[in-house]
Amino acid sequence: MSTQPSTSTSSGASTGGQIDITTLPIPQLSQLQTRLSQELEHLSTSHARLRAAQARFRDCMRSIKDGVENRKADTPLLIPLTTSLYVPATPNAKKPNTVLVDVGTGYFVEKSTKDATRFYEGKVEDLNKNLSDIEKVVGVKNADLRAIEDVLRAKVLAEQQGGGDGKAGQRKEGGGG
Amino acid sequence: MERDQKRLQELSEALQKFQDDLQSAIDARQRLESQQAENKAVQKEFNGLDEDADIYRLVGPVLLKQDKSEAKSTVDGRLDFIGKEITRTETRIKDIQQSSEKSRMEMMQLQQKMQLAQGPG
Repeated sequence: MSTQPSTSTSSGASTGGQIDITTLPIPQLSQLQTRLSQELEHLSTSHARLRAAQARFRDCMRSIKDGVENRKADTPLLIPLTTSLYVPATPNAKKPNTVLVDVGTGYFVEKSTKDATRFYEGKVEDLNKNLSDIEKVVGVKNADLRAIEDVLRAKVLAEQQGGGDGKAGQRKEGGGG
Repeated sequence: MERDQKRLQELSEALQKFQDDLQSAIDARQRLESQQAENKAVQKEFNGLDEDADIYRLVGPVLLKQDKSEAKSTVDGRLDFIGKEITRTETRIKDIQQSSEKSRMEMMQLQQKMQLAQGPG
């Protein structure tokens, strides 16, 4: 619970407004390491979730194309009541090319297949943006983590060799977050 | 000396409680943020719809047809509420951070004082 665990705190160090991680003591470094790995784990879970959501939207688009737009009039349609029980269905004759789209928070909107496809394309596009944002952050954090691990390893090694005479803090590594 | 020990104990307990409060406030803040994002997406979708578009609302296991204007005002109301909640939570987070910082300072001073008292003896 130290007061300056952040690499972005302004303090006199070589890397312009950032703390030089080589000046930090070992306990703080390992704290930083734990926190960064936790953040990375969180980010990669989010990334996986977004990917899954994107896959679902793509499935919806494919279903619209194959199941509604390109359906032959005599192709039978079945509705799953449970995962193992289906009943035959007939599409609404008055609105043959409309679907109900879940737009979120419990609202469904009736859309033409074209509009629905556009809606899902927009969603996939939004997710792409979010995904690349996350990838950027992950890249930066990974580099940070690696830098910290390098310094930490060097310090532990120096301490073991020097019998813990405290000289480790003066080593220059040159790698700043 | 004993009084200082006791005070130190109190302070560290208070600090722990502040940390817990802070975490729950931050969680609430994140939840609100994601709700806001979802409602904003719905609002945007509603704004792009034709006037005569059919909107249904999922109520339990059934879909109820709803007026576009009604659905719109519901979502607007939600966003309004969420916005207010976010400001409220943010003030709470700031408050907790301030009190936590205060306890931390007092604790550090106390520790220094105790170290000094111990040093020569």
